[in-house]
Amino acid sequence: MTSLSQGPIELPDYLPAHLGAVREPGPPGELRLRVTLLSFERAARMLRDAGARFVTVFLADTPEPALVGAFALRGELIMLRAPSGSVDPVVYGSIGAWWPAARWPEQELVERHGVRPVGEPSERRLTEPDADLLDRGVQGLDVFALPYGPVRSGVFEAIQFQIETGGEDVPRIQTRPFFKHRGMERRFVGLVPDHAVYVAERVAGIASVAYATAFSQAVERALGVPPPPSAERWRAVYAELERLACHLDVIAKEAETTALYVGQARFQILKEQVTRLRAGLTGSRFGRGVVVPGGVRFEGAMNLDELSGTLGALERDLVRDRRLFLGTPSMTDRLIGAGRLERGLVEDYGAVGPLARGSGLSTDARHERPYGDYRRLGLQVITHREGDAMARVNVRFGELFESLRILRQSIDHLRRGDGQLQSELPPGATGAAFGWAEAPQGELVVWVEIRDGLVHRVHIASPSLRNWALFDHAFPKDVLTDFAFIEHSFGLTPAGADR
Amino acid sequence: MLGWIGRGLRKGRITTRYPRREEPAPVAYRGTVDVLDATDTPAELAALCPTGAIMIDEQRRLTLDRGRCILCGECVRAAPERLRFNSRYQTAARPRSALVVADQVDPAGGEPTHAALGDLARGLRRSIHVRHIDCGSDGSEEWEIQALWNPYYDIQRLGFFLTAAPRHADVLLVTGGVTAPMRGPLERTWQVMPEPKALVAVGTDACSGGLSAGGGLVAGGVDAILPVDVYVPGSPPAPIAIMHGLLLAVGLIRGVEVAA
Repeated sequence: MTSLSQGPIELPDYLPAHLGAVREPGPPGELRLRVTLLSFERAARMLRDAGARFVTVFLADTPEPALVGAFALRGELIMLRAPSGSVDPVVYGSIGAWWPAARWPEQELVERHGVRPVGEPSERRLTEPDADLLDRGVQGLDVFALPYGPVRSGVFEAIQFQIETGGEDVPRIQTRPFFKHRGMERRFVGLVPDHAVYVAERVAGIASVAYATAFSQAVERALGVPPPPSAERWRAVYAELERLACHLDVIAKEAETTALYVGQARFQILKEQVTRLRAGLTGSRFGRGVVVPGGVRFEGAMNLDELSGTLGALERDLVRDRRLFLGTPSMTDRLIGAGRLERGLVEDYGAVGPLARGSGLSTDARHERPYGDYRRLGLQVITHREGDAMARVNVRFGELFESLRILRQSIDHLRRGDGQLQSELPPGATGAAFGWAEAPQGELVVWVEIRDGLVHRVHIASPSLRNWALFDHAFPKDVLTDFAFIEHSFGLTPAGADR
Repeated sequence: MLGWIGRGLRKGRITTRYPRREEPAPVAYRGTVDVLDATDTPAELAALCPTGAIMIDEQRRLTLDRGRCILCGECVRAAPERLRFNSRYQTAARPRSALVVADQVDPAGGEPTHAALGDLARGLRRSIHVRHIDCGSDGSEEWEIQALWNPYYDIQRLGFFLTAAPRHADVLLVTGGVTAPMRGPLERTWQVMPEPKALVAVGTDACSGGLSAGGGLVAGGVDAILPVDVYVPGSPPAPIAIMHGLLLAVGLIRGVEVAA
């Protein structure tokens, strides 16, 4: 099922007063509200009641030290900013206590910055995982706890799942991220934005373009320098190629899990073709080194006719491969009904991306808060209501074709482009803003503070971390052998989650 | 099911001939950086590099550490007369010092690591079992390793198999600069592998920590913890580069020569 939802809706003017907040100036699409630490929880609760989606909570330092919460509501990113002054440690009423989406981000704040949310449920240590720790929660003679990871069979990134099972049913599963925490947010500090974007590209390598774009847009918004239209078009081209590669990877892995080897090979071939296209265009198989604050560094090193010809051939192949995939009962039987996530649960956890769209939510940063070329490109948000692994795969199939359509449109626009690719950033400038992009895994939000031309602070709300909290609930009626199907249908990356 | 068979056959052969023949890279591909002129280097060039891969000595001679290079191109743009991108895929090398280059001969490649493993490989008709462990990569290296088993690269034709158990593994591929929680699992994985064995560091992060180093949260390269046999720099290295590293590690090729 697809839905063509309407554009952003204006927020009512009385909202700041209603929340007991003072409105502050901010870049477009960002509603900045100043509250106090005391009223922070109340304002957050009202936003939830108004239908907002929780994005993140973190400590900002510009213009002054403050606790900041970010929420998505009707085409706006609402920023609740509570200056902390000399209060140390920062104390406020916990949001995670009543809003599941806030649990992990709040827990991270507690463990890394000593922040004290009052009334927060005591949770296991999240950020310093121990591979040998068994933390059993299910009692029973024949129930055993299986630590799966961080070293797993096959070539996978490091993450651990503690699976409690009697062999079939999975009464409890505990996701343990942060084995790969490299402190990437700190690696940005002190760099000029042009160099810092290289760090952004390496936070989650399979979504390099999305991370570079979100970071660059945050810098551009903070300094008030919009990129030229041609640069935005190239960014959209690189971003949609990245989405193709990521979605094809998920589908190939699902085929591999059912031992549908020709299907696996077919989707791997398509993915490699996209990867080679990216290498031909950008010189990097992951599209790195192109998107920079202010625009893009160069045009794709490929004739536009050749590019659209290759994409056309790819689309014809994809049509046939999708038909075969969906017509193979041994494949679809494993996906239908597996890992069903109810819409209400997905909303509670503030999930994003194909995961949320597979449970009927039409959330997509390209549509909710259109950025770059997506303001000019119409986007059809693909949603499916079933909430199972099949729905998540179907969302990706739909998005593959939607991405190909966007690519065709962008390439047409590029033929008429004026060729200017980069805007000059003012040297030594200061500012702070959010930037966002729809990564293949879901909405990515980055907060960037620039002081005197250098990056002062960065906070990343990655789609992978936000979606992974749901994995603990993804086995309502499923058995252990469904594990791989469900995991691949999430399509997340530990590097992005752990940062 | 029949549909899949037809679909599979229709595509024909797409597998690379590497290592029998060189696999051509796209012209614009950034495989590695070559030093054209190392003399009289301005000191500012070293400061441009975000990972400190460029070093300049008192005689103002430039050396480039490819194990630190993330191929961003800052130096190439600033001094195109001194440094240039090379689209070559085969970038693996050993020992670590072979990655530090000036403007002399190309030192990529080197002697085979483990004569014993090479003998074993030949004795077993090239049945080499490979195990991978992620110690804090950015996730892209995993994709490139997985790609080795796709129809374009099909490393199985050279006798490399992926194994789930470290106890069955001959070669360990390590990605990432080694975060604290992964140190123990890495050491244990290596310990239970039977002799002879080889360790290949895949990616700039695994070679030196790359951009993730410097915060004290990663060890700054696998060789801070375990002896590394072959280094495959690149951010991330292409599948052919990883294949080159594997072939070097087991002594099936030497240097960058193209022969099997």
